[in-house]
Amino acid sequence: MPESVPASLILDAYKEIFREARGGRPTEPLGWVLSVPDTHQKSVLAALDKERALRTLTCATEDEANAIAAGLWIGGEPCILMIQHAGLYASINTLRGVAIDGKVPIFYMIGLLSRERDKDPSESRHSMVRWCEPLLDTFGVPHARLEGPDDVPLIAKYFKLSRERRGPAAVLVGLETM
Amino acid sequence: MKRPADLVTAMKPEEILKLIAAVRGDALCVPTMTTAPEWRDIAPDDLSISCVGFMGGASSLGLGLALSNPDRRVIVFDGDGSLLMQLGSLATIAGARPRNLTHLLFKNGVYHTSGAQNIPGGFDVDFVLMAKGAGYRTAYAIHEIDELKRRLPSLLRDEGPVFVELHTGLAEKTPMTARGGKSFPDQVEHLRKKLSA
Repeated sequence: MPESVPASLILDAYKEIFREARGGRPTEPLGWVLSVPDTHQKSVLAALDKERALRTLTCATEDEANAIAAGLWIGGEPCILMIQHAGLYASINTLRGVAIDGKVPIFYMIGLLSRERDKDPSESRHSMVRWCEPLLDTFGVPHARLEGPDDVPLIAKYFKLSRERRGPAAVLVGLETM
Repeated sequence: MKRPADLVTAMKPEEILKLIAAVRGDALCVPTMTTAPEWRDIAPDDLSISCVGFMGGASSLGLGLALSNPDRRVIVFDGDGSLLMQLGSLATIAGARPRNLTHLLFKNGVYHTSGAQNIPGGFDVDFVLMAKGAGYRTAYAIHEIDELKRRLPSLLRDEGPVFVELHTGLAEKTPMTARGGKSFPDQVEHLRKKLSA
């Protein structure tokens, strides 16, 4: 059965990822979080509000977040995108143009809002939940599920994967974070 | 609805780009759509990146560059049809308050590349008002080339985000009539290497 993941564990993972991406160099900010607010990850967004080491930029759309991520990548700044499954659907053309065809490594944390605790996402009665993984598969985007605290290391693993393959990679947040 | 041809004094995009090229220094430039082919010829360097393959993304790409290069000016050559596709970027840019970003809007009132269909609202859409409302530090329109020459040094130097609506006619080339140039991923790689050197 999936479990909710505490925001503090996710933020610690972000910080470690950014430190490593910068080769351990002390910098302010450590890295950027580009967010189109997601109800599913709201505890993480609330924690980010109080976090000084990470810079959070709220974007009006996921399309913008993808293009901003490209500019940050070109300028050597690490970033993570936090969006919802609906935002993935809305921005799939920009993901294709920037992260796939443009070969810009972009790592996404995608909230599976309304995912039922007792069902596999593929069996969800909500199309937004059900079609998210098939959509990522169609576009060849590697992805993993964050189904509990033990899965937190997947965040770093898929962030690195996006950089290694110079393209998109995603972690799907199974239950609402706490 | 007014069309660019109705505007006797409409500036030529090519002339505007040449003026900018002469004074940009080491600024990073982000052309899109009809400014891209001409800029490629005027400034064939590694300090520019065309927004290709994700129409509407030039302003956001420019914002990311500005945030990651705070000591360098970034100039976006946006189009009116393009900006309408990601109009929310005006608020996102204003919220991020990049001091080094100049957002130029080449306003011709049409989707030139696809056959010059009117954009929604045509030439009457007031982007200056929108940029001001979103919270840009400075926003104004320029109608004539002499005015542009006079204001050019300040619009590339003033604290950003700066928004300037440039009233233009149609460019001589479009991405469809003048294909070529480096692919987007090649441009990404070259600019990233250049900036990290």
